Amino acid sequence: MDAIHHSSEPSATLSPTHNMLPVLADRKRVNGPLGGTSAPIYSKYLAKDPKELPERPTRSRPNNVLRKMFLKTGVTPSASGSAYLELAAPINSKSVAPGLASLSPSGLKLTCTVHGPRPLPRTAQFSPHIILTTHVKYAPFATRKRRGYLKDSNERDLGVHLEAALRGVIIGDRWPKSGVEVIITILEGEEDQWWGDDISRGNTSATGWGMMSVLSGCITVASAAIADAGIDCVDVVAGGVAAVVKEAGIPNLVLDPVPSEHKDIIAACIVAYLPSRDEITDLWVKGEIGHQNQAEDRPQTSTYEELTDNAVQAALGAHRVLISALKETADVKLGRT
Amino acid sequence: MAAWVERKQSLVYGSDDWLPRKLVLVRAGGTCPAPFQRPTKKQKASVAATASSSTRALNFTLHITSHHGIKSQSPSPMASTTPQSALSFPRETFAKLSPHPYLRAHLQPTSATATPTRANGRSPSQFRTPHINNGSLTHADGSAVVRIGDTTVVCGIRGEILLTSKVPGWRADKAAAEPSSGAGYNEIKELDLLVPNIELATGCSPAFMPVIPPSTLAQDLSTKIYSLLHSTNLLDREDLRIWYQPPDLSDPDRMDDDSEDDEETSASEIKAFWALYIDILFISLDGNPFDAAWAAVMSALKNVRLPKAYWDPDREMILCDDSVDKSKKLSLNGLPVAITALVFKAKEQAQSKDKKYWILVDPDTFEESLCDESVTVVVDCSEKKTRILSITKSGGTIVGREEMKDIVKLAEQRSTELSSILNG
Repeated sequence: MDAIHHSSEPSATLSPTHNMLPVLADRKRVNGPLGGTSAPIYSKYLAKDPKELPERPTRSRPNNVLRKMFLKTGVTPSASGSAYLELAAPINSKSVAPGLASLSPSGLKLTCTVHGPRPLPRTAQFSPHIILTTHVKYAPFATRKRRGYLKDSNERDLGVHLEAALRGVIIGDRWPKSGVEVIITILEGEEDQWWGDDISRGNTSATGWGMMSVLSGCITVASAAIADAGIDCVDVVAGGVAAVVKEAGIPNLVLDPVPSEHKDIIAACIVAYLPSRDEITDLWVKGEIGHQNQAEDRPQTSTYEELTDNAVQAALGAHRVLISALKETADVKLGRT
Repeated sequence: MAAWVERKQSLVYGSDDWLPRKLVLVRAGGTCPAPFQRPTKKQKASVAATASSSTRALNFTLHITSHHGIKSQSPSPMASTTPQSALSFPRETFAKLSPHPYLRAHLQPTSATATPTRANGRSPSQFRTPHINNGSLTHADGSAVVRIGDTTVVCGIRGEILLTSKVPGWRADKAAAEPSSGAGYNEIKELDLLVPNIELATGCSPAFMPVIPPSTLAQDLSTKIYSLLHSTNLLDREDLRIWYQPPDLSDPDRMDDDSEDDEETSASEIKAFWALYIDILFISLDGNPFDAAWAAVMSALKNVRLPKAYWDPDREMILCDDSVDKSKKLSLNGLPVAITALVFKAKEQAQSKDKKYWILVDPDTFEESLCDESVTVVVDCSEKKTRILSITKSGGTIVGREEMKDIVKLAEQRSTELSSILNG
């Protein structure tokens, strides 16, 4: 498995307009109270006694079962191609009644549009292949903390990874002098950790675990939208995530981890995988497993290879949904219902 | 290990069968316009539709001759037999090449009995069917997804807390004395407690690409929503207040306390306000953004559940209770519904006796690109009498008193249709 890049274009995500002054942008929006507002703080956050705290959600699925996925293409008729992806929110068996919106577990909801291929502007330099531009943006209400309208570094990071994952899939030589834009709006993002850990109670390590699932979803949904737009690809690419989590001191491999369900995530890996070529177009590992020489005394410790292989398995699961969603659309198109 | 995955139902789009609209875009059920025959010498290119029994395969024929540049129209059968002088286009091409005659061809009644039909298959006064799905977003206190035809809007509302201590020039006694102290004082407006923003740069349409600061249309729509929220007096300001009632220290045991202080200590005061951030994202745009955005805002506002907030004097901060029972919904003052209508003018028909314009309600993108005059009416029919809350008209000179009356009537019709969905 090696990464093949068809295009040598630099990431177009970092276009110069990003660096516009926030002041300038804010003047064009309604900004609300001058003094600024603060997010509501729930009294449960501040409970001193751990018994008063609501219980941490736990994973109810077996380790190798992915969350339910909903995928549909053609949600934005005005775009060349579009798709919508939704991952089911984890069901918390322990909570009796659904809490208020802001404390309930969230799923993942992404919408993606593809515009193009269309001719590059006259001023652009000649390009022998298609120029791919990706944008990933969180909606202001996508996460527990309200997001701004300006892109932050996480969003740019996601855009770069997505671009890398898709660049190796599109047969770029078929569209010289043209460009295609992939735009993803995250209507609801994965949480980085359980909200109870937000106030530095737990000794959870790094943040940003939620980004892994988000990126995996972005890859799958973008792949569906590109297929919907009728852009030639070597295969449909799917994203998958696997993680090593510590449960009662024992490291364990899980597919499609939900960060809020695991207190200690040691490492996570996301791949963009092409099943028919057995090729990975994007690979990103976060966290540290430790070196292999520890494996003798602690046989459960997974290696990076195992982690990647499991992420590929997760990607295969997503691929299956992707194919069936595309088939469904094709059937409707051909009138076979 | 093998991965298991299942398909699930969508929360955002609800149970309503969400077909990829692109596939049924051509004509879903609508009747095809009859071929029109209007020989006009003044026309630069005469346009005819060849009659076809099949509704889908309707071809429009554009006659172009190199000699005069103008040629009066020939009967359809001839057009098909003389390919040198006639170019036959599929309807999409015709719509792109000459959009204005294309739409006029649809609207122009060919006989006295035929009703004009728009290019999208609707009659001029026909609205698209709305679909509304509430409460699908986890992190929003209230949310709605509204789909009107191919226009899809997501609206999420979040409440945040504005402490009165942070409000410049706030005096506790001002509001505590009596809410209506200053005449015309509206704290929702004065303190800017409603923050609506529209985002079009979500790839909803090729016209709006990300990375650019909000387009003029987005700013325009945000401002319209903002001013309409305030001018309709939609929200009850009591809903957005967070009161604090200091504990009554005048226990019977402590009779020695000054009785004068009691009055002051037991007076409740406003400690904070809820500010509502109303974010409206377009997922798909096919005309009429304002009506869809407003319907989404209304539906999301009806869906809002704010947690019970209270002042904690020990911690000196506002805390919220997470139980659903203690949370409350907003009480809305009426149910305003916005409708937009465009006026389509038959430019080249100034002399003829034919009807020169059509009023098209709930326009799509194609129609928006062809019309200059637009009217937006906001009505509230929640009580017995219809209240007109706002009328906005721009461009053109056609809409007069009579036309406005018709539009308001249409707005009333739409209002009953929409409010049954909004309430239900």
